[in-house]
Amino acid sequence: MELRLTDLRDGESGIITSIKIGHRRAHREHGRAGRRWGFRRRLEDMGLTPGTRVTVVKSAPFRGPLEVHARGSRLAIGRRMAERIFVEVKR
Amino acid sequence: MTKSRFIVVLAGNANVGKSVIFNHLTGLHQHIGNWPGKTVEKAEGTLHFRGHTIDIIDLPGIYSLSTFSIEELVSREYIAVETPDVVINVVDASVLERNLFFTLQLMELETPMVVALNQVDMAKKKGIEINYKKLEKTLGVPVIPTVATRGTGVYELLQKSVETIEKGGEKPHQMKYGDEIEKRIEGLSEIVKKVHYPYPARWTAIKLLEKDEQVEREIREIDPEILSAAEKSAREIEDIHGHSCSTVITSERYEIAGCIAREVQHIAPPIKPPMRERLHALTTHKIFGYPIMAIALLAIFSSIFAFGDYTSGLLGDLLYGLEPIFESIFGAEIVGKLIWGGVMEGIIAGVTIALPYIIPFYLILYFLEDSGYLSRIAFLLDNVMHKIGLHGKAFIPVMLSLGCNVPGCLGCRIMETERERLLTAFVVTLVPCAATTVIVLGLVGTFVGVQWALALYIINLLIIFLLGRLAFKALPGEPTALIMEMHDYRVPHLQTVLKQTWFRLMEFIKMAFPLIIVGSLLIKLADVTDLLNPIASVLSPMTVTWLGLPAITGIALIFGVLRKELTLIMLATLLGTADFAHVPNFDFGPVQMIVFALVTMLYIPCIATIAALVREFGWKKALFITVFEIVFAILVGGIAFRLLILAQ
Ligand SMILES: Nc1nc2c(ncn2[C@@H]2O[C@H](COP(=O)(O)OP(=O)(O)OP(=O)(O)O)[C@@H](O)[C@H]2O)c(=O)[nH]1
Ligand SMILES: [Mg+2]
Repeated sequence: MELRLTDLRDGESGIITSIKIGHRRAHREHGRAGRRWGFRRRLEDMGLTPGTRVTVVKSAPFRGPLEVHARGSRLAIGRRMAERIFVEVKR
Repeated sequence: MTKSRFIVVLAGNANVGKSVIFNHLTGLHQHIGNWPGKTVEKAEGTLHFRGHTIDIIDLPGIYSLSTFSIEELVSREYIAVETPDVVINVVDASVLERNLFFTLQLMELETPMVVALNQVDMAKKKGIEINYKKLEKTLGVPVIPTVATRGTGVYELLQKSVETIEKGGEKPHQMKYGDEIEKRIEGLSEIVKKVHYPYPARWTAIKLLEKDEQVEREIREIDPEILSAAEKSAREIEDIHGHSCSTVITSERYEIAGCIAREVQHIAPPIKPPMRERLHALTTHKIFGYPIMAIALLAIFSSIFAFGDYTSGLLGDLLYGLEPIFESIFGAEIVGKLIWGGVMEGIIAGVTIALPYIIPFYLILYFLEDSGYLSRIAFLLDNVMHKIGLHGKAFIPVMLSLGCNVPGCLGCRIMETERERLLTAFVVTLVPCAATTVIVLGLVGTFVGVQWALALYIINLLIIFLLGRLAFKALPGEPTALIMEMHDYRVPHLQTVLKQTWFRLMEFIKMAFPLIIVGSLLIKLADVTDLLNPIASVLSPMTVTWLGLPAITGIALIFGVLRKELTLIMLATLLGTADFAHVPNFDFGPVQMIVFALVTMLYIPCIATIAALVREFGWKKALFITVFEIVFAILVGGIAFRLLILAQ
């Protein structure tokens, strides 16, 4: 089933289906949504492309960032961004 | 051989070991500055090898060649436009896949390359064996395994780089994307080839498909039709894959990197989790992570300031001891006063602020960064810092500026984008430093009461939150968010840390001292020419009418520009006593003291901080922050005065 990355339990992993941050078209039509476009690029550049397996190791308390493993490296991702990463999980 | 001077650049992800290699190669022949007009550090060095003079440039660590951070822009522009003779791509062997993703992008820039497969010792510890010969064959560029911290392979790396140049600098192979993409890249690069553009045609075509903002903008100016052709191709790719074209290309690049990595490496992970993994788990633990961090930060903070305070006092005493000598040489007249009070006191202010605080600060910042603990702190504190529109990494500069704003400003560099840097610097200059604490405690704490001193701190904190948020809203650009690699814990390389500290300190001195000396000379000049009192009366509408303070406080506030303690010291000198509460004919009650302390807290970062701002952000932004804070402090001071009078 498709879940947000933030809905995964600690230690659970899934395959990225999409990152819903600032679509290019939104960028052109109403600038604001598109401001986050750079962040999708950034996430992808760090290896979080669709089809990639990610494992959520843990999250910092009080709605802090998530620690995830992907492509052999360990990343910290702010929660608000992690909420926009969708993953396919077997439950 | 026509020329014997070469340029070699080091490029790669953050924290892979570029600077360690750079320091091995260049030793003490280096210079650290900024890229023209950018807040990006540029480290250059020279070395001689086999009769060649080689300039080496250490590029900042980046993960991609897109336009997300200024570092990426600077790097790709440098490599493509200045065309160095060879690029040494430093690769972390223990995170091969992600590092190769960057390697593939460098190859697309078509500059001759050598790969330094660094940290093979760390990789081995993680159970990763890499067949570098096979990697060499697949990439079509020379690969040299290295352990930079021990110097292993660095000589061979240099040898291979020079060999590559001497052979005429072959362009690396180009990796092929999927057919449907490749076809369109080829079509586009045919059109791009016809126009004059400094970047390679194939690279430009790929970037156009990725909708790279800078390339799009520049190509539009040359020939807007190329852009529409690119958009058409991109749309076709989007229709085939169902994702945006840049996502498709990035994915494919990672697929290629992953394939290569899987082919050349053999992984046999150790059975028992190693020490560094357990340390990571502990230091980022939901509960234990925080007390550990608190202890670590407290220890760091108090040691910097114990050391700073002690050496600052020591150096101050030592240098002030020179006064009689100066007096005997230059006399006690105007010239003597200017030389001592203007030049020397400026130097003393610089030395006693800069050296004792900046040296331990740099050492500790590098230590935190290189060991990997900095990223764990950012992880734990991200959501707190979000409250003021910043993200976790900003905690370190903000914390440091509680001691002194100067290292705080210099530390803003750890933020990624120009916007984040500027926002952090702005917040940093509002943080009350040690000197401000002296004033608040020494004046308000002593004469009015500790609870009022505390209240001032709380007001300051509220202002930081408020202005931080406002600036965050007002400054255009990407919102801040944390996306950060947490690399494995490592023991930092002491020699590199020391050298980097030394060269940065030198640069700070070169930049800041002239400014500090000129500033102090001007103030002294006003003093000896008896201009201070007229200035105080010119300022009196502000000080007396608006702030409700005695006129001479204007003079004290001017001196505070040099260093903030001076406001209090000057006030005592001007009054001839430090017992401020009982001076006849001097209306300086609790209300005035609170207002005075509040204004001192908020107005102008001292001149050393301004110098640090100029160094990092240039004159315009430094001036803007300075003027804004002066006006803001006066505004708040006046409002506070009226409120306090009402409450009385
Ligand atoms: N074990 C081991 N550690 C290394 C090696 N090379 C570098 N390091 C460590 O990795 C850390 C980062 O090295 P730097 O040279 O500062 O990395 P950099 O690539 O310059 O990083 P940025 O300037 O942030 O891009 C330091 O703590 C080094 O001690 C190596 O070959 N083996
Ligand atoms: Mg470096």
